[in-house]
Amino acid sequence: MQVDPKTYRVTENSKVGIIGLIIGIVGLALSGIGYMTDSAQFFHSYLVAFFFWLTIALGGLFFTLLHDLVQAKWSIVIRRIAESIMTVLPLMALFAIPVFLGIHELYHWSHADVVAHDEILQKKAGYLNVTFFIIRAVVYFAIWIIFALLLYKKSLQMDKTKDSSILVKLRRISAPGMILFALTSTFAAFDWLMSLDPHWYSTIFGVYVFSGSFLAVLSFIILVVLYQRHNEVMRQTVTVEHCHDLAKLTFGFVIFWAYMGFSQYFLMWYANIPEETVWYLHRWQGDWKDISLVIIFGHFAIPFVVLITRAAKRSFPVLLVISVWLLFVHWVDLYWLVLPNLYNHEVHLSWIDLTTMVGIGGVFVWYFWRRYTSQPLVPIGDPGLQKSIDFVNI
Amino acid sequence: MSSQAENTGAVYTDEILFPGNPTFESITESVSRIPEARKTPRAWWVLFSISLALAGMLVAMIGYLFWEGIGIWGVQIPVGWGWAIVNFVWWVGIGHAGTIISAILFLLRQRWRTSINRFAEAMTIFAVICALIFPSIHVGRAWVLYWTMPFPNQMDLWPNFRSPLLWDAFAVGTYFACSFMFWYVGLIPDLATLRDRAINRIKKILYGIFSLGWRGGNRQWRHYELAYLVLAGISTPLVLSVHSIVSTDFATSIVPGWHTTIFPPYFVAGAIFSGFAMVMTLSVIARKIYNLEHIITPKVLERMNLIMLVTGSMVGYSYAMEFFIAWYSGNEIEQFTFINRAFGPYAWAYWIMISCNVLVPQLFWFKRFRTSIPVMFVASILINIGMWFERFVIVMSLARDYLPSSWDYYSPTVYDVGIYIGSIGLFFTLFLLFLRFMPMVAMSEVKGVLPQADPHYGEKAHA
Repeated sequence: MQVDPKTYRVTENSKVGIIGLIIGIVGLALSGIGYMTDSAQFFHSYLVAFFFWLTIALGGLFFTLLHDLVQAKWSIVIRRIAESIMTVLPLMALFAIPVFLGIHELYHWSHADVVAHDEILQKKAGYLNVTFFIIRAVVYFAIWIIFALLLYKKSLQMDKTKDSSILVKLRRISAPGMILFALTSTFAAFDWLMSLDPHWYSTIFGVYVFSGSFLAVLSFIILVVLYQRHNEVMRQTVTVEHCHDLAKLTFGFVIFWAYMGFSQYFLMWYANIPEETVWYLHRWQGDWKDISLVIIFGHFAIPFVVLITRAAKRSFPVLLVISVWLLFVHWVDLYWLVLPNLYNHEVHLSWIDLTTMVGIGGVFVWYFWRRYTSQPLVPIGDPGLQKSIDFVNI
Repeated sequence: MSSQAENTGAVYTDEILFPGNPTFESITESVSRIPEARKTPRAWWVLFSISLALAGMLVAMIGYLFWEGIGIWGVQIPVGWGWAIVNFVWWVGIGHAGTIISAILFLLRQRWRTSINRFAEAMTIFAVICALIFPSIHVGRAWVLYWTMPFPNQMDLWPNFRSPLLWDAFAVGTYFACSFMFWYVGLIPDLATLRDRAINRIKKILYGIFSLGWRGGNRQWRHYELAYLVLAGISTPLVLSVHSIVSTDFATSIVPGWHTTIFPPYFVAGAIFSGFAMVMTLSVIARKIYNLEHIITPKVLERMNLIMLVTGSMVGYSYAMEFFIAWYSGNEIEQFTFINRAFGPYAWAYWIMISCNVLVPQLFWFKRFRTSIPVMFVASILINIGMWFERFVIVMSLARDYLPSSWDYYSPTVYDVGIYIGSIGLFFTLFLLFLRFMPMVAMSEVKGVLPQADPHYGEKAHA
């Protein structure tokens, strides 16, 4: 990989995109076989994989919205990575289609005969029905895609025109975008994850999923930065200082995620109402207990301890390991949210879990990388760019 | 590249924090002259007399309360928690702005916070003092309040560690201690300034004692900055934990409308929201009376309004989630509670809450409103009223509990109202004393963010 240091354009691209695409196609093809052999397993694994990559894309959208809204300066050099991540959202809309096809395998409430014998589900039928579910999904994606593409387009426009008034426009777009993002991402989490157990409910659930999503995108961004450094490009532009700040945010959101997770668990544990605790009971029985412990320690305790020092936040090897680890535990977290729906007592890891992950992931990475490397790697029209490059932590 | 760097100021306008190019000297002068003034302004005396009278009323009413018992309040069955808990949560919430400004905004490198952090921190301490009064007197037998503390005793009796009320005692106690330390550490360099400028021997000795021998040497500053960073790090989780614990007073119960998982972050957002509103109310008045408009600039006020817009919207989000999930739960009692809130006997309080907390801050979407001092002043007062009513609405869910036969309408007595107003009097008494005797703006910190403080100030931008 080669980058022109003046224009920040990629002159010689690495093969990461193509490799991603090949792996992705192979993964998807194998997942297709998985569908034929065990459709229930396939749809559950697929939902986890789909949501894993969707949360990264949404995290990218959130990062961009936040950056544009508050006009942060330190993160200008990272903005293009986040912007390119969010442009994958149209692709994720295509990947949502199999979830719709598997709706009867995934969601009990979609069966008329189940609802007919379930008083509580009858009350929810106005919200939890197939038509409205799909309409909502279309609305969510429409909103996400519109904002993502609009912000991306404006940002590219600034590369060419160097017109700093675009910053004001970006801010104007991102303010309502933030509100719509909060609502759509919350209801998406309710629809796709929470309604897997349609009797169970939690007001914090949307924020819980969001906190994991932002953590995932921070890890993903750190990995992109480290990959560039590995290829000896952009080292003078995205420096250890930016990594340090990304790591601080990661550290903060490790705690924030735990705060959300703990608030939900703790209040349910304390009140001890069966209709709420049953959800945790499923996740504390049999093998699921081990997974729960992996999440408590892996998603909170370990990264918390590792990232606490300044030296760790500025060490590239530590950041590499912890980012990969956080992405892994993010997947475990989603797996833990979805799969107890299928296996009540025992954890059955399936090869389809892997193929769906790398299938969607490969195509995701290819698409992201193509977008990212097709434009200058930093927003060259941004008047704060030099400030961002020169940024140091004191 | 250098020309590009110079242009940055045009778009990222936050570069110039204080217009009019103040010097170190002018900052010291405009802040120090307030506690140094020989004559106390008449307005101060008027406000202080009123506040002191109200605080006196508080003391008298608490005395009567101890004599007579909490039966003098409007509390009854089923509303066993009346105004006392509402006031407690309201005051603790108000305190949060000080901590978020001094800790979180510090970690987020928001340099504009320097002009308001000192008195926001002072406000935190006074608000927590007011807050602590309410649970202490609500226990009924305040003389055995020390039983909340776990200590070995011959009866082998321990407080219930699973009680959120005990956690409150720890959380708020820790919060008070840390906030006080943070505030005091921040004060040291400024107290030294006042010591050095003092012309009166008594003042010199007193400021001298409290400035702990500060000389402003290089090593002292290094230790100071490190201590400040560490305290900011310690205080940051406190911003979140204290009001989360307060929220568990409600949320761990199985009272409909109280037991909902979003309560901890929702309470924290509400706390920051109301705290900023209080800082706004106070700073609009203080900057005017003490001619500090060039330090507490309109830009600072505008940013505080933006924080209110964000946190107010978070609170709105939480209301929406509660309402939606109440419907979605399919739980009749939960649904009833929320419909009852909006259309029941306390609907008036509910709609005050919605209009003040959700609608009013939406004004700040418009630059015209968020830069208008009359608008923000009125809005900040409305928000504080709204946030009081939020807690009132939550507590009044008790009036319609599981047993319709015990349903009742809660009305406060004169003692409920008197003690609440008295606590406001106490708050302002302390706050006015602070304004009179302490530097109300963190001079050393403001100076630290002036362009002159940059070691490269005055050098030509190098090519």
